[in-house]
Amino acid sequence: MSDPASPAWPASPRADFIGALILFVFGTVVAAMSWQMDRFEQQGATLHTAPGLWPGIIGLMIVALAALLAWRSVRRARAAHWNAAVPDDTVLVPRRDFWLAVALFFFYAAGLVGRGLPFWLGTAAFVAGFVFLFQRAAGRPTNARAIVFSIVCGVLTAVIVTLAFEQLFYVRLP
Amino acid sequence: MFEGLIQFGHSLVSFLDPLSIGLILLSSLVGVIIGALPGLTATMGVALMTTLTIKMPSNQALLVLICTYVGAIYGGSRSAILLNIPGTPASAASCLDGHALAKQGQAGRAMGIATSGSVLGTLIGMFFLALFTPVLGDLALKFGAYEFFWLALFGVIIAGTLTGDDPLKGWLAGLIGILSATVGQEAIYAYDRFSFGNRDLAGGFNLVPALVGAFGFAELLMAVRERPVPVKINPFDSVIPKLRDVTQYWRTILRSGVIGTFIGILPGVGEDVAAWSSYAAAKRVSKEKEKFGKGSIDGLMAAETGDNACVPGAVIPVLTLAIPGSAPAAVLMAAMLIHGVRPGPMIMIEAPTFVYDVVAMMLFATLGILLYGLTLTNLLIKVLMVPKPVILPIIFVLCVVGSFAISSRLFDVYVMLGFGVLGYVLRRAGYPVAPLVLGMVLGDLMEKGLRRGLVLSDGDLTPFFTRPISAVLWITIVLVILFKLPLARKLFRRRPVASAN
Repeated sequence: MSDPASPAWPASPRADFIGALILFVFGTVVAAMSWQMDRFEQQGATLHTAPGLWPGIIGLMIVALAALLAWRSVRRARAAHWNAAVPDDTVLVPRRDFWLAVALFFFYAAGLVGRGLPFWLGTAAFVAGFVFLFQRAAGRPTNARAIVFSIVCGVLTAVIVTLAFEQLFYVRLP
Repeated sequence: MFEGLIQFGHSLVSFLDPLSIGLILLSSLVGVIIGALPGLTATMGVALMTTLTIKMPSNQALLVLICTYVGAIYGGSRSAILLNIPGTPASAASCLDGHALAKQGQAGRAMGIATSGSVLGTLIGMFFLALFTPVLGDLALKFGAYEFFWLALFGVIIAGTLTGDDPLKGWLAGLIGILSATVGQEAIYAYDRFSFGNRDLAGGFNLVPALVGAFGFAELLMAVRERPVPVKINPFDSVIPKLRDVTQYWRTILRSGVIGTFIGILPGVGEDVAAWSSYAAAKRVSKEKEKFGKGSIDGLMAAETGDNACVPGAVIPVLTLAIPGSAPAAVLMAAMLIHGVRPGPMIMIEAPTFVYDVVAMMLFATLGILLYGLTLTNLLIKVLMVPKPVILPIIFVLCVVGSFAISSRLFDVYVMLGFGVLGYVLRRAGYPVAPLVLGMVLGDLMEKGLRRGLVLSDGDLTPFFTRPISAVLWITIVLVILFKLPLARKLFRRRPVASAN
């Protein structure tokens, strides 16, 4: 744990404080749920064999460390300001593109796979769609060639993954 | 000793069939490619290959995983040297001098140094793996529930302390990992914890989908967030290592090999710390300190030898104590359990030849990276040129299929998604993910150690603190924590002369 004056802080005191609050609440809930777990006293069990003992200890440790993190973020904020953090020089994609990618990932994993659509078809559609949309987001032309390229990527991935898993490694596909 | 050599010889011969050789060639190549691609790490590679090899015989599956692991740690040096982007966190130290050499038109020489350092580092680590595993295995037989509790806790604490910028966040990540291991039925009364009446949750989280999520999907989300940079690679010289570069820096190689192996043995620390420690040690004793960061052969050799020596080092505690030395070794340990191999103190009694099988696998993995290091430079450059929008969805498909493949349940795909989001949120907030993984893997061992110990001592905590090995472990844990707390550091810090005056 670095000193509040340390120059290398990847997250701002505000972010740390919010994270600490979330963890504090989470740890408290875990400790409370652990306390309410059955202790099997009617079966002669003692405290040290109770199912809630270990998660309860972990919950309390999370509470303690979260409190420490919150205290440190307040000290850091006093030493500098609430938004002080090391500037991140990573060049990011527009937020819209990031959320589009997340939506595509979730749509494929939770919506397409294992819902009746053949695996190869869902995979080909997902890969082709992803490649096309993000080639466009990268500023590349969206002409017929780009569409064909995306479809080829999708079909090739679907065929290779299906054959490799099912025929070579004998693994069931969703 | 001769018995060990004979067993090692038997193990070597057992892998000399066409199928095993094919698997070595293929998995080393996959490992090198995964390592070379920025954003894909060794942990992710080993986790994905675990799902792919689920139906293979155990020795062949582990051969694939070890070749992937060694290959990925080595492959990271390629993008570090050519693009100044570490392919894996283990190669971050190689960027400093590797890319500086590339800018001076000596990228080929730098890649040759990386190849020789990685090969020799793995061989040094392999030597210690063969030497220390039986010795540590004997020592581990003295470990009881109390010692295993402290050792597992030590692993999570050390991983939390050393793998990120902020130990407090590292420890919190470790605790979240430990807590995730408590979900589902507990061992004594089969009581459902945190399952909320859900039958899938009552079975607990399957380790591999959770690891694929925390390392694979989370890394994909991080990669999606960053705008792709156009890849530009300058022409370079020969990649064949020069004998003079090896003979001139033999001290660096030996020192870094020992440091890398030792850091590998430390639970949960991993290859990136091994590389940086070896680099720092080389800089401290070098006569050419000013060249470090500007294209020092010594620095690059130290980093590459250190990170690869860490791989066999990280496997030593897996085999002897069932405590992983690094995040990829944690996945490897999970794979061993899936394949019916029980790593831990009994391994030298139950399966003594297995240890030599692992040493032989390391040797074949070393030969794999040597082969690809000398021959496949152009192919790797072509792989580096593949646009990110093409690679990312393919990796995600593998994450989904791999998670499903373990037990053919869609629930595991959702676990992968959940842990992926958790891993992403933690990374964004500056929490390291390696302690989370260690916590997930070691949480069960820790709880069993605590509860068994308390049952054995009838609720008395004294043996946890008074048994000799336990005492060493808990005192070390307390010291590690204390020295990271600002208050304790202030107490121990010598007052500067100026302020005293």
